[in-house]
Amino acid sequence: MSKRDLRLKINELSSALGTFKGLEIQVGRIFEEDWEEPLGPTPFPSVGTLRSWDLKLLNRYKPFYMPFCDLCCLCTFGKCDLTGDKRGACGITMAGQQSRIVLLAACIGASTHAAHARHMLNHLIEEYGRDAPLEVALNTNVEAPHIRLVCGFRPKTLRDLEDALDYVETQLVQLVAATHTGQEGDNLDFESKVFHAGMLDHVAMEVADIEQIATLGLPKGEPDTPLADLGFGSIDTSKPVIMCIGHNVLPSVDIIDYLMDHDLFGEVEVGGLCCTAHDMSRYDKRAKVIGPISWQLRFIRSGIPDLIVVDEQCLRTDVMIEAKKIGVPVIATSEKSCLGLPDRTGDDPDKIVEDLVEGRVPGVLILDPRKVGEVSVKTVMAVAPRRAGFKTLTREAVSEMAKKCRSCMECVRACPNNLPIMEAVQAAAQGDFEPLAALYDLCVGCARCESACPVDFPIITFINKAAEKEILNEKYLMRVGRGAIQDVEIREVGRAIVFGEIPGVVALVGCANYPAGGADVARIAEEFLKRRFIVLVSGCSAMNIAMTRDEDGLNLYEKYPGIFDAGGLVNVGSCVSNAHITGATIKIANIFAKRPLRANYEEIADYVYNRVGAVGVAWGAMSQKAASIAAGCWRLGIPVVVGPHGAKYRRMLLGRKEREEDWMVYDARSGEKVYVGPAPEHLFYAAETVEEALVMIAKLAMRPNDTSKGRAVKLSHYIDLYQKYYGGMPDDLHLYVRREADVPFTMRDQIMKALEEAGWVEGKIASPDPTLVDRLVRRRL
Amino acid sequence: MFEDIPVGVGIIYEGERIRGRQMQVELGGPRERYKFELVQARKLDEIEDGKIEIIGPDLPELKPGTNHPFGILIEVAGKEIEKDLEGVIERRIHEYTNFIEGFMHLNQRYDIQLRLSKKSYEKGFNSLRLLGEVLKRLFKSEMPFIEKIQITFMTDPDKVKEWYEKAMEIYEARDARARGMSDDDVDVFYGCSLCQSFAPTHLCVITPQRYANCGAISWFDGRATAKVDPKGPVFEIPKGECIDPVKGEYEGVNKVIRDKSLGEIERVQLYTAFGYPHTSCGCFEGCAFYIPELDGFGVVHRNFKGETVNGLTFVTISDLTAGGRQVDGFHGLSIEYMRSPKFLQADGGWNRVVWMPQEVKERVKEFMPPEIVDKIATENDVSNLDELREFLKEKGHPIVERWAEAPAEEAAEAPAEVTAPTLELPAGAIPIQGIPAGMGFRIILKNAKITAEKLIIKADRGK
Repeated sequence: MSKRDLRLKINELSSALGTFKGLEIQVGRIFEEDWEEPLGPTPFPSVGTLRSWDLKLLNRYKPFYMPFCDLCCLCTFGKCDLTGDKRGACGITMAGQQSRIVLLAACIGASTHAAHARHMLNHLIEEYGRDAPLEVALNTNVEAPHIRLVCGFRPKTLRDLEDALDYVETQLVQLVAATHTGQEGDNLDFESKVFHAGMLDHVAMEVADIEQIATLGLPKGEPDTPLADLGFGSIDTSKPVIMCIGHNVLPSVDIIDYLMDHDLFGEVEVGGLCCTAHDMSRYDKRAKVIGPISWQLRFIRSGIPDLIVVDEQCLRTDVMIEAKKIGVPVIATSEKSCLGLPDRTGDDPDKIVEDLVEGRVPGVLILDPRKVGEVSVKTVMAVAPRRAGFKTLTREAVSEMAKKCRSCMECVRACPNNLPIMEAVQAAAQGDFEPLAALYDLCVGCARCESACPVDFPIITFINKAAEKEILNEKYLMRVGRGAIQDVEIREVGRAIVFGEIPGVVALVGCANYPAGGADVARIAEEFLKRRFIVLVSGCSAMNIAMTRDEDGLNLYEKYPGIFDAGGLVNVGSCVSNAHITGATIKIANIFAKRPLRANYEEIADYVYNRVGAVGVAWGAMSQKAASIAAGCWRLGIPVVVGPHGAKYRRMLLGRKEREEDWMVYDARSGEKVYVGPAPEHLFYAAETVEEALVMIAKLAMRPNDTSKGRAVKLSHYIDLYQKYYGGMPDDLHLYVRREADVPFTMRDQIMKALEEAGWVEGKIASPDPTLVDRLVRRRL
Repeated sequence: MFEDIPVGVGIIYEGERIRGRQMQVELGGPRERYKFELVQARKLDEIEDGKIEIIGPDLPELKPGTNHPFGILIEVAGKEIEKDLEGVIERRIHEYTNFIEGFMHLNQRYDIQLRLSKKSYEKGFNSLRLLGEVLKRLFKSEMPFIEKIQITFMTDPDKVKEWYEKAMEIYEARDARARGMSDDDVDVFYGCSLCQSFAPTHLCVITPQRYANCGAISWFDGRATAKVDPKGPVFEIPKGECIDPVKGEYEGVNKVIRDKSLGEIERVQLYTAFGYPHTSCGCFEGCAFYIPELDGFGVVHRNFKGETVNGLTFVTISDLTAGGRQVDGFHGLSIEYMRSPKFLQADGGWNRVVWMPQEVKERVKEFMPPEIVDKIATENDVSNLDELREFLKEKGHPIVERWAEAPAEEAAEAPAEVTAPTLELPAGAIPIQGIPAGMGFRIILKNAKITAEKLIIKADRGK
């Protein structure tokens, strides 16, 4: 987009105007205007620029607060009790405080992605230069939908991404400042800022993913990426094992490169956990994916790793203690997570290796990824033989320890999912390991039970031992993350979306804080794959769905193709790849309708909201990043469903379906206000059970713009799921049938009867050209 | 509606696949020579509504895991039912059969393959009569203009063979009529505004000789759809007076276009890519693109992944084409339209086409003038415009004569001279991607601070 810091010195210039000597011209930026699309109304929007759009959504979907904490303890006036109609010392209300905390969470999330993107960008610029081109996906012109949409430029090189990040970082400072005591006082304004943080987050994620795709040679949107090994059982424990944890793939890439350059790939196992694993497998499918975040502690406890390399985000902050338990060194690689370790970046690699191998230091901080590569490989090869005799607890030992259980129930109380830990431990004391083994699939690996246990049982280790057999068989295949959706694919599904043959796009994203294990995610995915929705996955969810097999021994990746089409299962990749999911919805608006993308956020969001039947699902959402990712979806008008733990995000955005006046849109073809029904009904919804989520997801896929055929297809799925899990007909059908042609003809009799009972009257038009934005009305009659 | 059917019926079963080892029985399929499905329009008094007949053994008498000759004859009657709708009604058999849990239907006409799963058979779906019941109800539910319906299944090999032969004749006659039918033979065209949800100013005009751009809606489909849902997105366009028979401009069409495009599009000429071409939505099957250097058209389809002969990909070309606009020389179209005699009629038709992917050529070559087929290059023959030019000359493509009449411009126009004040910079001072070396460009300085150490102004004594 721009070139910076131009300095031009002209010794002598003769021109009609006069002669200039020693003329020096300094220019901050030169803009290359080679994009024929004119600049839209909101380039680089600041905190308040899109406020009126946010309020349109927030007035439909009023925040419903569920205080997770009744107090505010952020300043020295406090603690302030905010229950009832009490106000804090600064005047803040409960609603204000809850939304303020949501904003803080969203800022933490967006900052984390932005910081990750910046760290990588600085490094990649050093390695590849500022002019390294951005080739992101095959058959694709719209390389960076978020940057185009929000910032208003087309990035072509790494240099251009600096401009996007500069913007994101500047805005984030503004947002965090708004949370200071005595700043914003209105909860809806806080919520609008939450949306802003979410939008910034998707720009940051896009930067983070496209920079690594372009430079590290990750897949460029190929639907048929290779299958990588996943799970404990895929690790060859006879070899030295490096375990990489986190989200920033740079150190892992240099480990892989070092192994390749020294022809050692066959001799060392490299396994990753959490998103680093995704990006490692995108870089080289021979890298093993151990599992999602919840596998972190259990894998360390298994004693299998011989070296732990951590980068950033979602790490166990007690990794040093855990590593010590199994006698392995730790290499920290990010300034954001130094873990108290000495900075050895400048030291001779062999000296560092020696110190680690001899146990002179428990770990080191190395900020140069290349050095991490060399030190890691050398260290693990020396450490592994020394650890050959390492043993975890025997069953007998577990049984013996378990006899000391005091039946205090502290473990159960500490467990976020209330798992029957005590019973299981006591059964183990009697020699029955089944109940403990049964916890393996349900446990989220937080180890709060261990902290709570007055006799300090290593409960995670107990469970590992009990589930030993299962762990050995834990060997699955995961289709490697492909990155973006190609423009050509977007065009391909257009007709099916218009006609309603594809009833919706469901994205299963986010962390592994599941209420009842990861199998639920696979279940949700398969339910919608069978129904020929497009299902996208990323992050921990993408790993968890690999871990469920059918009776023929196949998992979903083996059964469903990686195409962005009906019945396709698309793994986009790591957390930062989530930008491609929202990016695909943006591209639908741009590629079909030719809606201008450039700095045109409100119009595109209005389009996605009214027309693209996409639903985000974060069944195990845990982190602040998940919060900001969701916020980015909301501003684009994409509803998000979370699991029961998601209620701890403190508020839902719920529509009130019975209020007719809430569901009016402009018909852009006439300017008239028309009723379109509560579609989508909610913007943020926490489901208590999988069954509830399944029904809700199908319902939230409906949009005002659905054609009659499309609505009929969507209703079929909604009704079928409702009948399956609740029984009977949904009581709100009359709100979703606009004209008789919307009624699925395979259920005509029953539906017409239900409609009659509800006093349904046929509306005038099935689908107007819906918009919430007055200026987008094309013609006024 | 299907309470008495022992298995589920609904859209949700549509994607089911039944593998060999899961199947109770296969009807038709590649191992059977004789199989068919046929819909016939009858007079109201010729058939008995709701009658379902099975000629030959029913499901329980067919050995599990085997395949059999099979025929489905559906006779319909209704005041509004015309012979022309038979094909449209017939195609629904595929969709409806797939709605049944544990039933799979592939292909159409004389090529059908049906499989029933063991599971559904065991659940009680054990007679073709049940299949008939489902079809009967679905047909009547979706197409209320069907007043009477009578269904006959045939598994008796002789009977299937006898009807197979009849059916083949009927298909042929039907196709001949459809292909022989011209835009002049009808008074109404159909408009489809489905894609307006993506391209608000786009409207497909569907005529007997011009399929919808998506390739999914023929004139007959349009007719049936408009009958089923008169208030729906597919509607009649009385074509009105013909303004230009070669370009394909009709008064009635223009009137509707003006309204439906919100006044954006004034006129449409159906058989040309220049002037007032038919607009393009976003889901066209292929695209004709003008190659100015050769004064001819390239055609590319959606599945073509490489670069076309002028170095553009389908993505780029479709980007230039889509969005409900009229773009000279970029024309979204269906594959079926390429089989039409009206295909780019006003621009010279096939004689103007110089390049197309091999795959499309295979699909449509039967309908191309035979002498032109080998003269149109594919990606296997040439990879750039120079090679294409040679190819066309060598093969004696009719376009070559066109060049003789009016030589095509050899190169793109030289860049217009910049008249605004320019600051010529030393070559290479600021390399800007995409601007060839030596080409002038203009710098607009905004908020620029220019610091000059000395500014000397000399009086010009000469004047």
